[in-house]
Amino acid sequence: MERNINDATAVRVNDIWKSYGGTSVLKGVDITLLPGQVHALLGGNGAGKSTLMKSIAGLVNPESGSIEINGQTLSNASPAAAQALGLYLVPQEAHILPNQSVLENICLGLRATAKSLRGDIENLVADLAVKLDLDAQAATLEIADRQIVEILRGLIRKARVLILDEPTSALTPHEANALFDRVRQLQAQGVGIFFISHKLREIREICDVISVLRDGAIVLYGALDDYDDQQIVEAMTKAAVNSPLTTPQRRQNHQDFSASACVLELDQFSGEGFHDISFDVRAGEIVGLAGVVGAGRSELAETLFGLRPSSGGTVRLLGHELKKRTPRHCVDAGLVYLPEDRQQNGLFLEASLAWNMSGYTMHRLGFFPKSRRETGEFAEFREALGIKCESPGQPAGRLSGGNQQKVLLAKCLAANPRVLILDEPTRGVDVAARNDIYRLIHQLAEKGMGVLLISSDFDEIEQLADRVIVMAHGHQCGELSSHAINVDAIAHLAFESGAASHA
Amino acid sequence: MLDFFARNRVATLFGVTVLAFILIGIAAPGYLSLSTASVIMSNSLVLMTVGLGTMLVILTRNIDVSSGSVLGLSAVVLGLLLNNDVGLVPAIVICLICGALAGLFNGLLVTLFNVPSIIATLGTLGLFRGIMLILTGGKWIEELPQSLKFLAENGSIGISVLTVAVAIALAGVWAITRHTRFGRYFYAVGDNREAARHLGIRVHLVQISAFVAAGILAALAGIIFAAQIGFIPNQAGNGVELKAIAANVLGGVSLLGGSGSVPGVFVGVIFMTSIDSALVFLKIPAFWNDFIAGAVLLLVLLLDGRVRIAVEKAIRAKRYAVHAPAQTSNATPAPHTMRKTPATPQENAQ
Repeated sequence: MERNINDATAVRVNDIWKSYGGTSVLKGVDITLLPGQVHALLGGNGAGKSTLMKSIAGLVNPESGSIEINGQTLSNASPAAAQALGLYLVPQEAHILPNQSVLENICLGLRATAKSLRGDIENLVADLAVKLDLDAQAATLEIADRQIVEILRGLIRKARVLILDEPTSALTPHEANALFDRVRQLQAQGVGIFFISHKLREIREICDVISVLRDGAIVLYGALDDYDDQQIVEAMTKAAVNSPLTTPQRRQNHQDFSASACVLELDQFSGEGFHDISFDVRAGEIVGLAGVVGAGRSELAETLFGLRPSSGGTVRLLGHELKKRTPRHCVDAGLVYLPEDRQQNGLFLEASLAWNMSGYTMHRLGFFPKSRRETGEFAEFREALGIKCESPGQPAGRLSGGNQQKVLLAKCLAANPRVLILDEPTRGVDVAARNDIYRLIHQLAEKGMGVLLISSDFDEIEQLADRVIVMAHGHQCGELSSHAINVDAIAHLAFESGAASHA
Repeated sequence: MLDFFARNRVATLFGVTVLAFILIGIAAPGYLSLSTASVIMSNSLVLMTVGLGTMLVILTRNIDVSSGSVLGLSAVVLGLLLNNDVGLVPAIVICLICGALAGLFNGLLVTLFNVPSIIATLGTLGLFRGIMLILTGGKWIEELPQSLKFLAENGSIGISVLTVAVAIALAGVWAITRHTRFGRYFYAVGDNREAARHLGIRVHLVQISAFVAAGILAALAGIIFAAQIGFIPNQAGNGVELKAIAANVLGGVSLLGGSGSVPGVFVGVIFMTSIDSALVFLKIPAFWNDFIAGAVLLLVLLLDGRVRIAVEKAIRAKRYAVHAPAQTSNATPAPHTMRKTPATPQENAQ
């Protein structure tokens, strides 16, 4: 900031154009980042945010236009060239080398040896208030820890320009705050930061400047304080917004579900990473399963769905004990699970959308599945969920995050479940798609489906859940219902109990 | 953890090898001798050299099935040069360059032209063998000069010049993969190519380097081959690529890339060679060789698979055990936290 601003832009992008297979993704984008600035970048699915950032990071070669990083032109785009100019992109989906140690993963590509950086990294880990075993094999890391590895990569590189692509999507509020402190420190040191996020609250907290992308062009740019939330969301979604999209409506009437039929009942259920969990889900009810990452929630869900062995306790589904738990039995009995990591466990990325939709019902389709019926069914879901795609035959990997998530939801719904377990259903999904998904979850509950919602986003839990179970360190440490549900109460339980069981 | 896994495989194989030696030693006294060791060592040189190059390629998550033909081609180049009165040293240098060019060709096909390595090297397997046959006109190359054969002769302490050369190659590859930044890039590229690219590693350069190194090592194997048997038949090196891949797998090199080590390949090659020599010693008819070698290979891999599953289970149990004891022994905080929560319909129901 103290330097001469004229020749010291951190990033200057000039009239960038890029198209994929005939469709223009970036249509002459100009964007400038100054040192010491935190620049928020917003946009819906497919607006071109990722492509823009990948162009700056040298991962994508734009067709025309120029990119300057720290005053030097990025020619011959490659990640190596961009990094040599002092830029690092922390991607949304962590790139992990599964066979290497965590330490190696962080240090790879740097000139200094892993050994000499160990101390610095340990300090960073302590600063971020996260727990990370540097000697563990990276394959054993949970998805949140992988993201932390990516963030550490960005921080340890002492980059002059950092791009953070939804860095908090897998972090707890606590960790996110620690990261923001770190971002402010970097800002004070004159590091320029592009910050991509869908959470306006976060953006308000740390960003100075905002740009909104829509259909490959910047539609809003300026100091963040000049715009209110409504203006920003309108810029993103173009169409005048009728419903207030920033804060989707919480269910109005907190019904009492104690009279409804019990669809899922756990009694002293134990397995890898969780112990003695007992709760029930009633028809039409949305039960939130809150907690910090590593509390054992995903393990619980995976064990319920038969992906991991259980070590005790009983599960009753629709009144019958679910003894034989394999994914297929669960699906047939009416229990369906939407996994946390859609790229790895959820979708067949190369397969068509219609195939993906019948993922859970493949065994019911007969020896010769009729593709016409499949396409027809997919068309219904496409309409109902608002999936944006070219055709049902398109590979799932080509869709944007939000649309992939909707396809995954279609896959779950195609199995006609009575109980739906949603594990982080809005991770890496933009505001508009997230609201679609929220609305859908409400509709499903109203139709009488029991929903178990796992989320680390306590706002989300507050907005959606009728009742909340809080887990910490593998234990059930509290339950909140109706008006007692709020972010603070959940956080209090999730963190306090964690601390208590550690003492 | 990674080291443990890698060493674990090497240790398993090492144990089996030692056991096999002892058993054969009991069955056929006289097998366990320095002369046997010397025979195994010189018999293993060709496979060792090719296997080393194959390892580098596999580490980057590619595969090279053309090394047998590269071996043959460069051996023929060497033989033709020597029989046309080119000096030994320049001939060897040209032969190695020839191997490097063959590897470069493979590397360019895989990187610039984006051909899957199995297909590219299957193609060059035929191509290089064809060039070799065109060069020789289909004839064997015989009457190689004494200076070449001398390289394979054991000196006063039972070690030939070629053994020293292979030892240097082993040490060199070990040092590079283990101790240099560039060596780590081989593992990184094989482990997760996209991640490596993202971290600013020149993925194509690393992949091409692996193929070039494999080509040079295959050419070195060609020199060893020619020196050891004194002539170059048309089928020189035929099938050695598959043996090299098997030795790699046996030595714990993952075909999925990103893990493996030089000691692993070393033990794998020694194991495979000693099976052959033991069968000779036990006077088992030669036509049993392939059957027994295949069966032993499967046996070792199955055994190792079991060990791995057990280890993984132990690691999982350890990882999740963190929560368990806290609950039973530390039961006091639980009711304390429970009290904070309002009574719920569900609790009443129970």
